[in-house]
Amino acid sequence: MAPARTIYAPSWEKLEKALKTQPLEASIEALIFLLKRRQLHGDACADATASILRQVVAKSKWHDVDDLLVQVQKAGSRLAQAAPHEPVIGNVVRRVMGLIRDEATESRNADDFGSESASDIQSLAPATNPLVPVPTTRPGPTPIRLPTLASTTSFHVSKSMFNLLSIADPADSVAGSFMTGTSTPISQAQPASVHALRGEVMDGIDEIIDEISQADDQIASFADIQIHPGDFVLVHQPTPTVEKFLVRAAAKRRFTVLISSLSPPQTGEVPYAALRKKLSAAGIRTINLATNGLMAYMPKVNKVIFGARAVYQNGGLLADSGAYTAARAAHESSKPVIVLSGIFKFCPEDPSDEASKHELGNSSSTVSYADGSTVDAIEIENTVAEYVPPNLVDVYLTNL
Amino acid sequence: MATADSAPPQGQQGSDTPTPQTNAPATAPTNPPAQSQPQLTPAQLKAKAKAEKAARRAQVKEARAAAPPAPAAPSGADAKGAKGKGKQDGQQSQSKSGHAHRPSMAGRRPSLFKVEVDVRSTIPDCFSHISMAKRIQTSQADKDVHPAVLAVGQQMATFAIRDSIARLEATLLAFRKVIESYDTPKGNSLSRHFVPHVLNPQIEYLIECRPICFSMGNAIRLLKAKVNKFDIDTPEEEAKEGLLETIDLFIKERIELAEYMIARNAAERINQGDVILTYGRHRLVEKSFLRAKENGKDFAVCIIDDPFDRAGQDLAKALRRAGIPVFYSPNVGGLRHQVARSTSVLLGAEAMFANGSLQAPAGTADVAMAAADAGKNVTAVCETINFDRERVSVDALTYNEIDPERNGPESFRLMYDTTRPKYITGVITEYESGAGNSPTQAILTILRKQEDPTIA
Repeated sequence: MAPARTIYAPSWEKLEKALKTQPLEASIEALIFLLKRRQLHGDACADATASILRQVVAKSKWHDVDDLLVQVQKAGSRLAQAAPHEPVIGNVVRRVMGLIRDEATESRNADDFGSESASDIQSLAPATNPLVPVPTTRPGPTPIRLPTLASTTSFHVSKSMFNLLSIADPADSVAGSFMTGTSTPISQAQPASVHALRGEVMDGIDEIIDEISQADDQIASFADIQIHPGDFVLVHQPTPTVEKFLVRAAAKRRFTVLISSLSPPQTGEVPYAALRKKLSAAGIRTINLATNGLMAYMPKVNKVIFGARAVYQNGGLLADSGAYTAARAAHESSKPVIVLSGIFKFCPEDPSDEASKHELGNSSSTVSYADGSTVDAIEIENTVAEYVPPNLVDVYLTNL
Repeated sequence: MATADSAPPQGQQGSDTPTPQTNAPATAPTNPPAQSQPQLTPAQLKAKAKAEKAARRAQVKEARAAAPPAPAAPSGADAKGAKGKGKQDGQQSQSKSGHAHRPSMAGRRPSLFKVEVDVRSTIPDCFSHISMAKRIQTSQADKDVHPAVLAVGQQMATFAIRDSIARLEATLLAFRKVIESYDTPKGNSLSRHFVPHVLNPQIEYLIECRPICFSMGNAIRLLKAKVNKFDIDTPEEEAKEGLLETIDLFIKERIELAEYMIARNAAERINQGDVILTYGRHRLVEKSFLRAKENGKDFAVCIIDDPFDRAGQDLAKALRRAGIPVFYSPNVGGLRHQVARSTSVLLGAEAMFANGSLQAPAGTADVAMAAADAGKNVTAVCETINFDRERVSVDALTYNEIDPERNGPESFRLMYDTTRPKYITGVITEYESGAGNSPTQAILTILRKQEDPTIA
């Protein structure tokens, strides 16, 4: 059974190889399938989404920027719906759409040399409907931006993530942003240079993919700054990002790592064996904590480190379950909580509905189905990802 | 070093396999002294030990015959140990050090000595001050240890008897048998001889098996105080009668009645329509829920379990059988959500420190903090016998225990944590003052009001 599954089970590696030859629709469907099976997590999700969107740009038929944005947005929302527990997908889609708009604007500005006309068109957009409350549909800094567009000639949108965060809100950018004033005039102005735009956008997406893949290394470069000799570092369910961070720190520092995890290991399995091996090769002592609550160990711990799945607008984050307990215990003992997160995990979403951010996992691992009376009558909630409020986090280390 | 790495699993097996052999003789003689022969002289004990040794040797031989190649080394070591046992007993009765690994034994039983060293060697330095229960072979115990106490010690070391009250009760019942079988030697008085020569070796053995809990400490203090009160001329029968009566009364008052009162008080505090959150499984919490249900209250219970223990599942089933709706969360994941949907929190405590800190199964503090953050009432249930008047603890590394089942190169686990008093709204005890529910800081007052000389 097991070997057969490894042969037939689709994997991202296989899909990635076939991306270029396979029809676009097949690739999207395959990725949706992978996401629904939860075979991809975190960084891999982001990487896969960017790669698929690159194929969307490369393969789909589009005649102007609007067309392209619609295509990207459609594919993106399909992916996002397939994995609502991975906010990173939405981030990458927003990022790509922002990129397309930027590229379109830049190329138009360069070609046209008509910055004057551009600003005219820009100013037209609100002017056509002066009484329609544009600012209310676009909350936040938009009202500030419109006047600058009208007054200054050079219309420049920074590519930085900060800008993206400050402008976008989820409903806006994923669902309806291609309808807004920024894109519509551009498409009218530039129907011709589709080919050049395609190349530029694909280059841009390649950059995003590079950024995602390098994020861990860039974050790890802070390791020896944050970890001091003799520290006791508590890592909660270390993600690959955290593992790289620790291994990098191990090259320069002597410290002790306490690893906590909420899932008891299967018999004969050593939790985080690979990480422990790497660390002990560097002379770092690791202790696996078989514990639920972490308050008992906090007096000894110097800092708590864990990876984020997503960081929300308010500074709170989504992380593997148990992260809240770890952060709360650290907060109680005034120990710093360091969260590692690539900038692509920052989402412009509001986590006000906290409970909906939790991800529930398979409960059969904790309660046996053979135990009918239990399964039948008891409501079991096995939370695998939970929200951590911003006041419990001291530091975000990012790749910015 | 390669051998040292591979030793622990082997060692654990080594200590596992002999226990069935040694357990059988340990539990067997627990009954006879109570029923047929109320008193065992040291000579009789020695004879018994010899018989046990012979039986064990026969078993070892059988085992060797059954599986000659693999267990050759350990069984050989065991046989050696059995040979040297008689002499060791002699040594131990003289030396009151209470330490299991003596240099002389190290020479005799290389395998055993290694086991002990290895078990503690995986404990990280920073936690090395914390004690851990360990199995002591009954043959290694001091010969003055009563068979009933031997059995209780084994059960404690293997966590067959786990929580503080169960340990207290088992200890008291075993001491009862010790008293029944006690004969004051000629020229001695019970009030002068019993404690140093009979009771103390039992206590030392129990401590060696597993550090005693506060309730046991309190009870032992009570018992010793009672013995000391006897006049030197008190007839032996009268003194023994008095001690047995004290123990019986103690069990009745401080354990049975306390349980009833706490369950009653706690059940009164559960309201119609409540959702009560609890952590793991605690006897008193369970009793309180069932009691409230009997009283006709409709409420739901939200259980946060420890994935490394899973006792909460048994509680879930028990409550479900009683018709109480149950939400079950296998670990602290999603704790904020679970707390948000419950109306109050009811926690079981293992012990309580003089400063009002709560010692409870690891994870309790995290649950209490989350609940306090959300503005929920956090109530603890605890018998007053578990209160300590002298010891103060602000963090969990002051008084704690390492879980021997989870101790090894691959894992480490502390059994308890300490919840600070500010996160606990109140404690429900069997004592009626303040309707039995008092803030944790009032512990000393409760104890004083109780006017119990034993805890004073």
